[in-house]
Amino acid sequence: MNTLKYPSLRSRPGRVMLETGIVLLGFLVLLAITGFKFYWITDFMIFCILVLSFDLLYGYLGHLSFGHMLYYGTGAYLAASWLVYFNNDPLLALLFAVIVTSLIAAVTGWVAVQTKAAAFALLTMAFNELGSFIVHTPLSKYTRGDDGLIASPGKVFGLLRFGKDTDAFIIVLIILLLVFLVLRILTRSPFGVLIRSVKENETRIQFLGYDTQRYKWITFIVSAAIAALAGGLFVMVQGFVSPRAISTLSNIEIIFAILIGGAGSLYGALIGGVLFMLVKNYLPPVISAAEGLAGFALPQWEMWLGIILLIIVFSFRKGVFGFAVEKAGLLRQSIKSRKGA
Amino acid sequence: MAVLLESQGLTKNFGKLRAVNGVDYSIEEGKTYGIIGPNGSGKTTFFNLLSGFHQPSSGQVRFDGKDITNTESFVRTGMGVARTFQLVSVFESLSVWENLVLSTLRFKQSSYPRALPFFFRKANQEESLEDCFTALETVGLAGKAEKPTTVLSYGDKRLLEIAIVLSLKPRLLLLDEPFAGLSDYEIGFIMELIQSLSGKFTQIIIEHKISKLITLVEKLSVLHNGSIICADVPEAVLENAEVRNVYWGRGAGCD
Repeated sequence: MNTLKYPSLRSRPGRVMLETGIVLLGFLVLLAITGFKFYWITDFMIFCILVLSFDLLYGYLGHLSFGHMLYYGTGAYLAASWLVYFNNDPLLALLFAVIVTSLIAAVTGWVAVQTKAAAFALLTMAFNELGSFIVHTPLSKYTRGDDGLIASPGKVFGLLRFGKDTDAFIIVLIILLLVFLVLRILTRSPFGVLIRSVKENETRIQFLGYDTQRYKWITFIVSAAIAALAGGLFVMVQGFVSPRAISTLSNIEIIFAILIGGAGSLYGALIGGVLFMLVKNYLPPVISAAEGLAGFALPQWEMWLGIILLIIVFSFRKGVFGFAVEKAGLLRQSIKSRKGA
Repeated sequence: MAVLLESQGLTKNFGKLRAVNGVDYSIEEGKTYGIIGPNGSGKTTFFNLLSGFHQPSSGQVRFDGKDITNTESFVRTGMGVARTFQLVSVFESLSVWENLVLSTLRFKQSSYPRALPFFFRKANQEESLEDCFTALETVGLAGKAEKPTTVLSYGDKRLLEIAIVLSLKPRLLLLDEPFAGLSDYEIGFIMELIQSLSGKFTQIIIEHKISKLITLVEKLSVLHNGSIICADVPEAVLENAEVRNVYWGRGAGCD
């Protein structure tokens, strides 16, 4: 008989829990070093959930969407609408947002996955612009147009209040960990291997007997559902949603974050999300302080972000996390060869 | 023997170019066939029509008695039509073994009600893994199973690609220029492999050099400008005046 041990494609439960623990620890450390600004880190984590959802579509499946904010924004508006027009249960509102957004994504996604590359990017953007218009104008009676919707969520399980910074932090942290857990299992499952391979060579996968369109469609819907969850959480924490949440412009921020962190890895998405939010939150006060010292106006933070992105593009093609993994691999190799010698 | 695959009046136009022109073709189960023709004669396009990569402009393809003219490629794979590509097509980001396992993740037949269990089913089913390992042994790559695909030579990648399609347990194997870009040594190995597979699988091999196929195939068809100009046993094809004219020109001789 053969002696080869078949390597498993399935993750060991222990490993998955360990990695989730590392993510938990990471955010707690981040909370500590930023001086226990619960409100900030909650914001960071919501953005990270959004970046994770984008990574599934872009990093794993290889489809760059310019219209991801449609699902984030739809989730936000649906959650807010539930709170305003039905009842104030935040979990029901989130569930409603995720389910209805998934249904919408099932329709838009079916059309979008028929295309790829630039056509996919433009088509998703067109859907986003359409959705953005619908929310802003025809539905303004319900969405209050530019003024936005104010929503006040009730307690979660009668215990935690989104209005309280520490409570909101705990709820969002738990949801982030759940999202990470689900994506960690999904991306390493046979399904995950398959969508990564679709990214590499879709034709080949079709000739292995797979209906790739269907797998792309499912991935699109899952990605949109998680984005809607992030949008819903945003409403719960902010108590407010405006057309900014569904604007295509914010899509650029997600792309920045994923490029900084490294696409195609959940850690890359998390690190990218955090680094982007750190730059976004810490740079403006630093710049104004520097302006005070220098006595003249300095370029705003977006320009510095642009410079950072240039450095990333030219020096760290695979993002910060990809770079670290590569260096660690080289180090391990050199240690191994030294031991061998 | 039963007819496994046949085409009738198969035609494919690309704009004004008629790449495949009314091809009638028929093969029997268990035999090895060859298709030769000069560059641009429509060999690969013909394969693309048989495997479902392109939809024909007109004409019909039947596999095992069923009309598959407009059937999608992944469905044809499920029915037992597997192909390799002229440029080797394997997954560089995966290991050799993962490349093989990838093909066994799929359900035996793609159908919608089974889409959901896909997420929950066991990835490593012993039986299909045995198939994968057997395929890897057949092409002689069993020792390199755990290597990353990137370190393989081009010839080994070609073998890996053949192992992948073998693991699908196809009824018909379409090999698109399996010798292209390989060294003489590697070509010899693949020729032996094809010989060992003949009888077990029905095979169609595309090649543009006549010499390689003479000993391999039972029937050789010559494509020229999208039409089959001759189909016979290899020795008879060699003697055919029209084929000699197309390949060597009148009188002159090289290759």
